[in-house]
Amino acid sequence: MPSSQLLRSRPAVGWALLASELSVLFRRRRTWAMLLALAAVPILIALAVRLSSATPPPGRGPAFLDQITQNGLFVGAVGLIVCVPLFLPLTVGVVAGDTIAGEASAGTLRYLLVAPAGRVRLLLVKFAAAVVFCVAATLAVAVAGAAIGIALFPVGPVTLLSGDTISVGESLLRSLLVAAYISVSLIGLSAIGLFISTLTDVPVGAMASTIVLAVVSQVLDSLPQLDWLHPWLFSHYWLGFGDLLRQPISWDSFGNNAILQAAYVLVFAALAYGRFSSKDILS
Amino acid sequence: MNRAWKRWVPAGVVVAVIASAAIAVPLTASAAVDLPTKTPQQVLALVARSHVGSLSGTIEQTSNLGLPQLPTTGTGSDSAASSALGLLSSSYTARVYLDGPTKARAQVMDKLAERDVIRNGSDVWLYSSRDNTAIHSTLPARTNKRPGATTGEVKTPGELATKLLAAVDSTTTVSVGNDTRVAGRTAYDLVLTPRATGTLVGSVSIAVDSETGLPLSVQLAARGQKDPAFSVAFSSLTLAAPSADVFSFTPPVGAKVKEQAMPSHQGAMKPLRPETDAVKPSMIGSGWDAVLSMPAGAETAKLTSSPLFGKLTTTVAGGHLFHTALVNVLVTNDGRVFAGSVPVERLQAVASAP
Repeated sequence: MPSSQLLRSRPAVGWALLASELSVLFRRRRTWAMLLALAAVPILIALAVRLSSATPPPGRGPAFLDQITQNGLFVGAVGLIVCVPLFLPLTVGVVAGDTIAGEASAGTLRYLLVAPAGRVRLLLVKFAAAVVFCVAATLAVAVAGAAIGIALFPVGPVTLLSGDTISVGESLLRSLLVAAYISVSLIGLSAIGLFISTLTDVPVGAMASTIVLAVVSQVLDSLPQLDWLHPWLFSHYWLGFGDLLRQPISWDSFGNNAILQAAYVLVFAALAYGRFSSKDILS
Repeated sequence: MNRAWKRWVPAGVVVAVIASAAIAVPLTASAAVDLPTKTPQQVLALVARSHVGSLSGTIEQTSNLGLPQLPTTGTGSDSAASSALGLLSSSYTARVYLDGPTKARAQVMDKLAERDVIRNGSDVWLYSSRDNTAIHSTLPARTNKRPGATTGEVKTPGELATKLLAAVDSTTTVSVGNDTRVAGRTAYDLVLTPRATGTLVGSVSIAVDSETGLPLSVQLAARGQKDPAFSVAFSSLTLAAPSADVFSFTPPVGAKVKEQAMPSHQGAMKPLRPETDAVKPSMIGSGWDAVLSMPAGAETAKLTSSPLFGKLTTTVAGGHLFHTALVNVLVTNDGRVFAGSVPVERLQAVASAP
């Protein structure tokens, strides 16, 4: 029967579309420029600490900065802490804001929809590609940090926040957990960017609004007078990955963060569906 | 037009489901509990019989004392702001592990930082990740067998409740409120209300685990304030012995290690605050509206010369007032200090009395 054949061939179309979307995303010079800029952050930090004669005093600057000279594995952690408030949301905002609006402004959106893909599948594929970029961006910082740290500083057992010490192997595992935490943290922002991207044909506008929202959310999160609002802000748990660096690991913030991000994804994916499926595609 | 509307239905449904879940989940957590009725005396006896020696759990302490609130920003380790006025007056989340009378660990979980108190036998370690320092002290032998391990300045609901209940006398009315649920356990609500009207304390509410008698939460309500002025409660609790390696602590390589002698008369772990007995404070009155008075001396001079002093206090007739929802502190112009859970007028009256 033709209908069942169609059903069976659907996933294939979806995967093919995702593969082509990913290859387009990761063949763009802009994507690589952003990943390289992110990787440069821990490298600059490591070079600055290596070249300066004085060790950073404890308790000043980003957390763990004073530990770098004793253990290079902390470079990745410091890099992630520095990147989480602005640089990572910036790059994620660019990618997520570009998803639909970029195709619309390039005039390619209608050709994508002529193919038997359907608008829902296109949205899903675009969102999946943005999520893949979240993971890639976080890994760029973490891996570059670990590499430059191992190259420039001694490497040894890692001290956790609780004062307990873990082996190098386990610390790499924890670094991956932290990277996973931050990737999850950025998914909600990707969904917001996807929705904003369906509202406009001007990709720069969608990118800028997404990034502005990330900053506004963090500003609201820092005001104690608005503490009733804080658990609802998508940036509320962004720096909560410190809980993964305790002994024993506290999974509470990981779970809360995942639930919060999932809620944001559901709401904004549904909004994006509402907008995109009822939109007149003119370009 | 009709079809376009339908496209927005999923968005509406998702928002409605999330909103109802956000309302329903806290409601089911605090769903009505119906325990066999007990008199206040029976609940007090339940607490007195309680002998929970081993537990691991998470404590949440919030204080709403009406102190100025500052925005929290930045990516640094954030322990300084909350420790400026001492742990007891700050809001934090801490994990607590107890095993028998001599093993205890408390982890105050700050943003990207942690403060630990670990007691294992007679060894006590204080560790702060922010400045990577470890302070070691050894408890005198005779306190080793003291019942009830403490976790230093991190007060568990049990410790606080024991202190509060020890002070219960004829100036306090004890009653049992509605049964509640704390950390997933059913609890009796023991309410202590001061008989005296001239105190800032409205009432004290202690949730007592119906099964073991362990106090699960302590809330202090101030007169004329809706939110509890101070609350410490378990948010999760397991009544099983934690694994032994939780209590073994060796200072990390690279940490500054300090050795500190433990004051011999003190079983509690407060090595950070050596007690000076140069000036002896005295109590005026008793019960809830008692006033603590301290004569002028070096200690009070140090207090008034601090740059924070001018910012935290307001000028009132006769001196400077440090006001919180539960406690007023009056520093008179001649350097005497009066403190108590009483309105400022009473402090002024005590200060001007001959």
